[in-house]
Amino acid sequence: MAPGLGSNRSKLRDTETVDTILNIAVVLLPLLYLLATVVYGVLFFGSRQGGDGLGPLLLRGTLALHFAYLLLLTLRWNQFPAATVSQALSALAFSVAVVYALVEWRGRERATGFWLLSLAFLFELLSSLLRTPNPPDRDILHSPLFATHVSLGLLGYAAFVVAASYGFLFLRLYHELKRSRFSTFFGKLPPLEVLERMMTGALLAGFVALTGAVVTGAVWAQQVFESRWLADPKIAFTVITWAFYGLALLLHRTRHWQGRQTAMASLAGFAAVLFSLVAINLFFTDMHGFR
Amino acid sequence: MSAPSPAKGDRLSQPIPRLLLIGVDHRSAPISLREKVSYGSEDGVELLGQLRAETGVREAYLLSTCNRTEIYLQLGEEAGVYARAMGLTFLHKAPEIEPEGRFYVKRDEEAARHLLEVASGLHSMVLGEPEILGQVRQAIALAERAESLGPVLRRLLRAATDTGGRARAETEIERGAVSFGYAVVDLARSIFRQLESRGALLLGAGETAQQVARSLREKGMQRLVVANRTRSRAERFQEQFPGTEILDFESRTQALGRCDLVVATTGAEEAVLTAADLTQAMRTRRPGPLLVVDLGVPRNVETQARQIENLFLHDVDTLETLIDRNLRRRREEIPRVQEILGRELAHFASAAGALGTEPLVAQLQKRAEAIRDRELTASLARLPGEHHAEVERLTRSLVKKILHHPSTQLRRGQADVDGDELARLARRLFQLDNE
Repeated sequence: MAPGLGSNRSKLRDTETVDTILNIAVVLLPLLYLLATVVYGVLFFGSRQGGDGLGPLLLRGTLALHFAYLLLLTLRWNQFPAATVSQALSALAFSVAVVYALVEWRGRERATGFWLLSLAFLFELLSSLLRTPNPPDRDILHSPLFATHVSLGLLGYAAFVVAASYGFLFLRLYHELKRSRFSTFFGKLPPLEVLERMMTGALLAGFVALTGAVVTGAVWAQQVFESRWLADPKIAFTVITWAFYGLALLLHRTRHWQGRQTAMASLAGFAAVLFSLVAINLFFTDMHGFR
Repeated sequence: MSAPSPAKGDRLSQPIPRLLLIGVDHRSAPISLREKVSYGSEDGVELLGQLRAETGVREAYLLSTCNRTEIYLQLGEEAGVYARAMGLTFLHKAPEIEPEGRFYVKRDEEAARHLLEVASGLHSMVLGEPEILGQVRQAIALAERAESLGPVLRRLLRAATDTGGRARAETEIERGAVSFGYAVVDLARSIFRQLESRGALLLGAGETAQQVARSLREKGMQRLVVANRTRSRAERFQEQFPGTEILDFESRTQALGRCDLVVATTGAEEAVLTAADLTQAMRTRRPGPLLVVDLGVPRNVETQARQIENLFLHDVDTLETLIDRNLRRRREEIPRVQEILGRELAHFASAAGALGTEPLVAQLQKRAEAIRDRELTASLARLPGEHHAEVERLTRSLVKKILHHPSTQLRRGQADVDGDELARLARRLFQLDNE
């Protein structure tokens, strides 16, 4: 047997093994996020205190597997894992879960795990459902500058997702306190001031990351497309979203907006992020399209 | 493997050493009786000494709080102990009282279970209140001082404090405010990051204001400002809560700018804070939420203030809803507390079975050792010196092996044979009564 033929067969076997592992991970990851969400949900809604070591353990295990999955995906296709909507959603789910794990690790809060992991589960489920077996080989994803642009963009989006979650919880608690009608949430959520701080902290982090994404994206696009990139609807929409978040932060900083208005802005921004990530990428843009 | 957890009413698989409980509490007797039969530390120590000296009483423990006075006795023989303990503890302090219906008497397992329930807060006036566990611990210290505790009651009390601690850590039996003071604290904690750096304005200085101030101080809020129409009453309030700032009642709105919490408890017929006052205050004070709790009836704060952004106004009805909800939740936790209690009781029973017969086992071993020593001394004199160590080892091993099974059986308390009968037979078989 010719040595080249044996080597090719061996490579083929390796590829098949990697694909099998990726296929298993695609099913396993949403299930693990669902399980983590249920465990954190039991902690939040249930009355039992203590015995809550399972949630963090499960979360860390899921994150380790998810990181390995993204790494394997990068190595398998030899490009940054953002070639399809499915891959971008998976990276987003991972970022959201990492942000929550950091918040929990710093000992600030465990009560919000259920809400943030619900979103991570939703993104990972969508990612698995929208998955295509063979993502296109996109030259642009081999560029380090472009990879930085995409990483910062996803990081910014993840931070905005986190901000929206805290914004949602803030509004729930705010209205309960305003109307003197107390649900299961009362006494289990962090105080309003803490939710506001976490929300504005996440907004600021998201804004900084998105600013970085816009700048690196503009520099890279200028090199590749010259001025044609300015006509992309995604660019216009992203700049509007960026300006909206910037304005919300400014109004909050200058005390013109209080927690409630900022929370509503974080939810509106989240809707824009979802629209930008899914609808615009799928239907309105060539440059940012996942085709 | 964890021990089984018998439900209330189920018998434990291991018998419990003989216990007697005589007590009176807020459910069986009014305050007029309870105050007569309550004990402080000095007369408590004296009583425990007297009880311990009674024939048939091996160990004694006294729990006396504002809601209950209970004695727990570990008995050798019960004959006549009940009447003497009743007389010593209760009747000599309140001779006119007819014990029927006022006092409860429980024995053995029921007595042990009762103590565990008390430590868990199940018998408290406010279900699940945390103070009782501290009081149980203080009473242990008192009994140690009186040297009235022995192995059985010590083990039972450990089970009681463990049960109380676990009930509070693993269930929600003490969660949620069940008084106005703590309900205000709960509301404040759901809004503010930390109470230590916040200030409270109290409008009114009566009983309710004091209750709220006590809870706030306990939870770390030091900065209190009080405004009362009668200044002398505000000064009395200040004496009770040192460091409180007194403000003229007319200047009350000035403090709105530097406080995050306002509690109104005056008996005024008109609103003492209007929506306009609060709107103005929200404009000028540093940004952030303001919590206003109106405990006045009629209400002290104009209800239109609810519309103000970032201001949270609550009245008596809100607090009562919160308290009712928390009490309901606490009641729902009782089965889970009983589950923990059952497990701890089973642990106690298995440990106490051995503790009750430990003196007898020790006596048996001591007697065997004395026989071995006597016979050995006689024999060794006739044997060459090089064999002494070997004979010593051999006899020691023989005695140990012969006594192993009887000692084990006595320690287990023999669930299938009456423990007392077994002990009696052991005494007779091994001639232990004479010692």
